[in-house]
Amino acid sequence: MIGMNTFHLVIVTLDGVSFDGECEKLVVRTIDGDVCIMANHISYVTALGMGEAQVFTGSGVRKAACIGGLLSVSDNEVRLAPTTFEWAEDIDRERALKAKERAEALLAQKKSVQEEKIAIAKLHRALVRSSVAKK
Amino acid sequence: MAGVSMKDIKLRIRSMESTKHITKAMEMVAASKLRRAEENVRRSRPYFDIIYKTAAEIAARDSEFSSPYLIERGIKKSLYIVIGGDRGLAGGYNHNVFMMAEEELRSKPSAVLPIGKRALENMRAHGFEVYTDAYPVAAELSISDSFSMSKLVCDGFLAGEFDEVFIVYTHYASMLTQTPAMRRILPLTPVENVDDDNSDTLYEPDGNTVFDRIIPEYIGGIIYGAICDSEASEQAARRNAMDSATKNAEEMIEDLSLKYNRARQGAITQEITEIVAGAGD
Repeated sequence: MIGMNTFHLVIVTLDGVSFDGECEKLVVRTIDGDVCIMANHISYVTALGMGEAQVFTGSGVRKAACIGGLLSVSDNEVRLAPTTFEWAEDIDRERALKAKERAEALLAQKKSVQEEKIAIAKLHRALVRSSVAKK
Repeated sequence: MAGVSMKDIKLRIRSMESTKHITKAMEMVAASKLRRAEENVRRSRPYFDIIYKTAAEIAARDSEFSSPYLIERGIKKSLYIVIGGDRGLAGGYNHNVFMMAEEELRSKPSAVLPIGKRALENMRAHGFEVYTDAYPVAAELSISDSFSMSKLVCDGFLAGEFDEVFIVYTHYASMLTQTPAMRRILPLTPVENVDDDNSDTLYEPDGNTVFDRIIPEYIGGIIYGAICDSEASEQAARRNAMDSATKNAEEMIEDLSLKYNRARQGAITQEITEIVAGAGD
């Protein structure tokens, strides 16, 4: 029965709409840790961290690397607006691992505080992407 | 004598024709790139709307609300993000936007963050302080580049390196009109008239934190939007410029063909006259 235990989920990035449909459960990493949204959640807004997102629909679960942006819930409408969002099947694991190596090399050099920050962010991103792709 | 002239004209026609081929091809390339740029603008819209709406709701909901991104301080230095193209042959596209930026840059102490090869060269040539030259190629800028740029600008703003940030770009009004435009992105202008029907919304950890987190995303969205807008303008301007170049080439070819035919006719007439004169003897 649609509407009783499902909610409408829209995932949009600057690149367009990644998902638009009914969903039973959504797990995302926020800046304070993982949260799970189910149907009829109260109005809720939070900022996203870096981590894995899981979208549970009637036909199973889809995983994705979800980084930055915000999550907003109102009236059983859930909108996820991440900075980057990639479904696990779309991630090139080899590339993610190479990016990880590059970030590690960059971190080893660490020239300035600013560069170190960027390298850490890159490494974090690469770790999230490669770990999501693995599963 | 007529033969030489005929040969010259033929050569010129041929060279005009190859020019025409090039301008025609450039026009077609620009037209297809324009479609892609328009598509990018359209696709980025929903994301931008959500971020904007949420930020506006947070700001409107809480009277105690304050954010360093909203504070107006004395202007000691301004930063201008100037979006230009990488190549010329796009009519007045680069010139118009640079004129607007230069006027502003000259009027107060400021630095410039150029995007695009032409923008970087132009700003350097005029001796303006370049904040960073990390974004020299406008055509290759990705979404993550606009977010990293936004982070850079937001950090600089919070650290007090500059007190206001403007973005100068070209607005794509239609195929025929592209106008240079400028808007202030920091400090943010508080939004008015938000119908706030979700006053019981739970913000986690709290409104301020969420707001400060999503503002760099919002700015990144604005920057990306302006880049797409400029890209569409550039392609439209180039398409128009190449269209008129093609038309000019066609006109010249027509003109030259007429001259060529006249010369040919003249040569034939002369030959006949010579033969007739020879037969008369």
